[in-house]
Amino acid sequence: MKLMRAVRVLASLGLAGAFAMGSVGAAAQTAAPAGAPKIGSSLIGKLQGPEIIRDAKAFPKTFKEAPTLAALVKDGKLPAVDKRLPEPSQLFVVKPLDQIGKYGGNWRRAFTGPADHENGNRIVSADKILTFDYTGTRIMPSLARDWKVSDDGKTTTIYLRKGAKWSDGKPLTADDFIFWYEDIYLNKNIVPTPFFEFQIDGKPGTMRKIDDYTVAFEFAEPYAFFVYQLAGSTAIGAGLATRGAFQNWGGAYAPAHYLKQFLPKYSSEEAANKKAKDLGFDNWVSLLRNRYSWALNPELPVMTPWKTVSPINTPTWAMERNPYFWGVDTAGNQLPYIDRITMSLAENAEVANLRAIAGEYDIQERHMHLSKLPVFLENQKKGNYTVKLDPGLNGADVALHVGMAYDADPEIGKLLRNKDFRHALALGIDRDQLNEAFWLGVGTAGSVAPAPDSVYSPGAEWNKKWGVLDLRQSNELLDKVGLTKKDPEGYRLRPDGKGRVRLEMVTVGGQFVPYTQVGEMIKQQWKKIGIDVDIKELERNLAFTRDNNNENQIITWANDGSEVLFLFPRHALPVDAAEAHMGIAFARWYASKGQSGKKPDDPEMLRAFDLFRSAFGMKEEDRVKAGKELWKIIVEQTWSIGTVGQSPAFMGVRIVKNNMGNVPDRQTNAQHVRTPYSSQPITFYFK
Amino acid sequence: MVAYIVRRLLLAVLTVWAISVLSFAIIHLPPGDYVTSYIASMSASGSAVSEGEAIAMREQLGLDQPITIQYAKWMGLMLQGNFGMAMEWGRPVSDVIGDRMSLTVVISVAAIIFTWAVALPIGIYSAVYRYSILDYAFTFIGFIGLAIPGFMLALIVMYIGFAYFGANVGGLFSPDYAEAPWSWARVWDLTLHLPIPAIVLGISGTAQLIRIMRSNLLDELRKPYVMTARARGLPEYRVILKYPVRVALNPFVSTIGYLLPYVVSGSIIVSLVLSLPTVGPLLLKALIAQDMFLAGTIVLLLGVLTVVGTFISDLLLMWVDPRIRLGQQ
Repeated sequence: MKLMRAVRVLASLGLAGAFAMGSVGAAAQTAAPAGAPKIGSSLIGKLQGPEIIRDAKAFPKTFKEAPTLAALVKDGKLPAVDKRLPEPSQLFVVKPLDQIGKYGGNWRRAFTGPADHENGNRIVSADKILTFDYTGTRIMPSLARDWKVSDDGKTTTIYLRKGAKWSDGKPLTADDFIFWYEDIYLNKNIVPTPFFEFQIDGKPGTMRKIDDYTVAFEFAEPYAFFVYQLAGSTAIGAGLATRGAFQNWGGAYAPAHYLKQFLPKYSSEEAANKKAKDLGFDNWVSLLRNRYSWALNPELPVMTPWKTVSPINTPTWAMERNPYFWGVDTAGNQLPYIDRITMSLAENAEVANLRAIAGEYDIQERHMHLSKLPVFLENQKKGNYTVKLDPGLNGADVALHVGMAYDADPEIGKLLRNKDFRHALALGIDRDQLNEAFWLGVGTAGSVAPAPDSVYSPGAEWNKKWGVLDLRQSNELLDKVGLTKKDPEGYRLRPDGKGRVRLEMVTVGGQFVPYTQVGEMIKQQWKKIGIDVDIKELERNLAFTRDNNNENQIITWANDGSEVLFLFPRHALPVDAAEAHMGIAFARWYASKGQSGKKPDDPEMLRAFDLFRSAFGMKEEDRVKAGKELWKIIVEQTWSIGTVGQSPAFMGVRIVKNNMGNVPDRQTNAQHVRTPYSSQPITFYFK
Repeated sequence: MVAYIVRRLLLAVLTVWAISVLSFAIIHLPPGDYVTSYIASMSASGSAVSEGEAIAMREQLGLDQPITIQYAKWMGLMLQGNFGMAMEWGRPVSDVIGDRMSLTVVISVAAIIFTWAVALPIGIYSAVYRYSILDYAFTFIGFIGLAIPGFMLALIVMYIGFAYFGANVGGLFSPDYAEAPWSWARVWDLTLHLPIPAIVLGISGTAQLIRIMRSNLLDELRKPYVMTARARGLPEYRVILKYPVRVALNPFVSTIGYLLPYVVSGSIIVSLVLSLPTVGPLLLKALIAQDMFLAGTIVLLLGVLTVVGTFISDLLLMWVDPRIRLGQQ
């Protein structure tokens, strides 16, 4: 295993090295003269996107379809388009960004293997129950045409589109929701523990059929936030395609007419297991898991705009249009415009980047590295593409998450739990230098707080709070903490007399952001405040496992998703035991309501926990207030130290061929909008 | 002779069992399991797995059981000819490996043919015309071939191909043929894409074999029987090809043991860099994802092939070299 690791390290060095040589040369050629605007600033365009039309009066009355489908209709192999679409008043209508598109074409992309299912999931996310508009702020209908939250917040009702059909032509009704709830979700063999999102205060929610096209989610306590769970990228709301590809049973509905054949309830335990064994699976659950994934199983009926024809575990993951897709443009053309999506396997991201430079992909934002921006720009003309940058909304692409429950070295643990010490570390970082060196100046330096225009932002001043370089104050704080003695080299000494204060920062290699190199630069910067830090690059899995044992003093990781605090809190607060860099012990304590884990000593963390827990039942206005308050606590307490963020480093470098239409200059780059889904890829077309 | 073969066979079975235990243990050495790795990889790409989902996955995959029980389960499955499920791929392991096997064998065999076709003649030439200008030239090129790591060469070749010849980057097919059904046009497309990976994969082996061939042959050429043959008036080509070259071939034969697993795995790093859909990258990804059945099966397969290959090369040596054959009796 050691050998393997060494081999991998060597490999990554080789790859990065060779391409870095190319990049440096290109950077030298394209480098702007001093004082000129930054390389990336001209590439960040205006936020744009298609509009989801909600007024049924504006809906089209006549419908057209792709020529390939029209031919099938003519041959009698497919019903006419108006028979395939939902009732006219129930349609999903999208106004394309620029103009009505043309049918046809094959959208070429890269993917990196069967674990890269999010690559396709995010394109076909139309099958989410609800979604967000292109700005990522307002909830919009998607699979469901409308929703209602009761006044007491205990019931959320969704209304389905009458006449909407699965990709095999069978109608989608409330029974598909009840099937999921009763036969999948409540079956302990399949889902042993209820989803966090589908419970409030530890009490599980229930699902009820009102009529064929109406489904209610009911809770024992007020849960006004549940509608956001339906719209976000969560286990309950992310749609059948996405959660099925995760092989995690979420999505809140499933094609009953197809899946029943795999369940013992509809045959017998023996028959179901025999079927599985015959196909090479251990038991019926593992067969069902495979059949449940749209990426693995082309036969699965789906509600997505494209359906898999060549599965993800082959060298080409290919999708074709779903003839029964329930969306149209404002002129009545059934969507999507593009016939086919072909993702070709790149065994590693470097190959994907080189192929993008060669112009082999039509639209690709995933796996494109910000560090290669100069090379992308240099080859724009030759590859006939344009580079667009989509900055994220999260505060830090590199956050220094402090292990608040770390105790292996009690003296260091005590320091880490001292707020002044954390503030001193935060003030000792020269973020502008980091931004120039690793983000090519396109990021924003500051704290971990989200972009000022995001919903829960407490205001722009909080992006700077404890997020600037101030060596004088930093040194004062360290003196105040009691680290006044220094060794001859100027490093501060531990109060217990055991040599220098020597921190350890864990970084993970091979990610979107060069964590290790950023760490090394911070090490140099902290020299000025007399703090020594060892940068320790670990394999990702090892780093996460150490997290789960509270063994990391500081770990660098992005805080992506934290801008939608309540949908995805794990990078802002230690509340989710699946991933908690700031102290898994506290997350376990929070999630189990004190049954396991460890209670934090920090009263501010306890206050944050209480506020966080209560927000899920609050009305919109109060919850936004609570979110802002939480961000103030998070920034003030600095459990994570922000460096540079709001940048396109995280899937925000977009290569778009010049013949693609309806593609926004800038799109919201965030997890909850399922980028690029919020740009409605169903309206992209080949000019 | 028969006793020798039987003894070797029994030892081989025992070795294979030991390999199965070792390969399973190796996969469990790194901390965490498939689910931790899955959570981490999802987090790295901006997606999330919840705690409840993680618990469900662990239970379904049997990862919450002790390692001995997991091993027993794996062994039990294998005795039934089932290698378990590849977790990341959601398919039976045998299917996942099977898919990539044919292309892997094609590439590796192409690389071996390249290696031998180049190394043998050059090796013989260098030995016979020792210290000639061409010998120096080949030696020089050979040392460069030995010194450049395969992945570096792959990168350079790939970049040059892209920058100056507009070639497709990596892979074995052009995009038009990637998912087309098999046809003569597709075979031709594959043939066009084959030389680069074959050469990159074969080059370091070639350099090595040239050196081995050259030195072995030099040893033989000095021997009296060669002089005798010449004195008897045998044509020069027969003098060299019929006797000393045959003896010098022994090392080639004994490397067959390592050749078999190589044919199946290809070179991991080079395949990764060139984005070849072979078993090598599959093994690497399985190890990273801690997909224990897939990784375990590949490691085991490579072990078994090494054992089988060594066995075959022993038999071949007996056949090729009368000294070994007669020495046994």
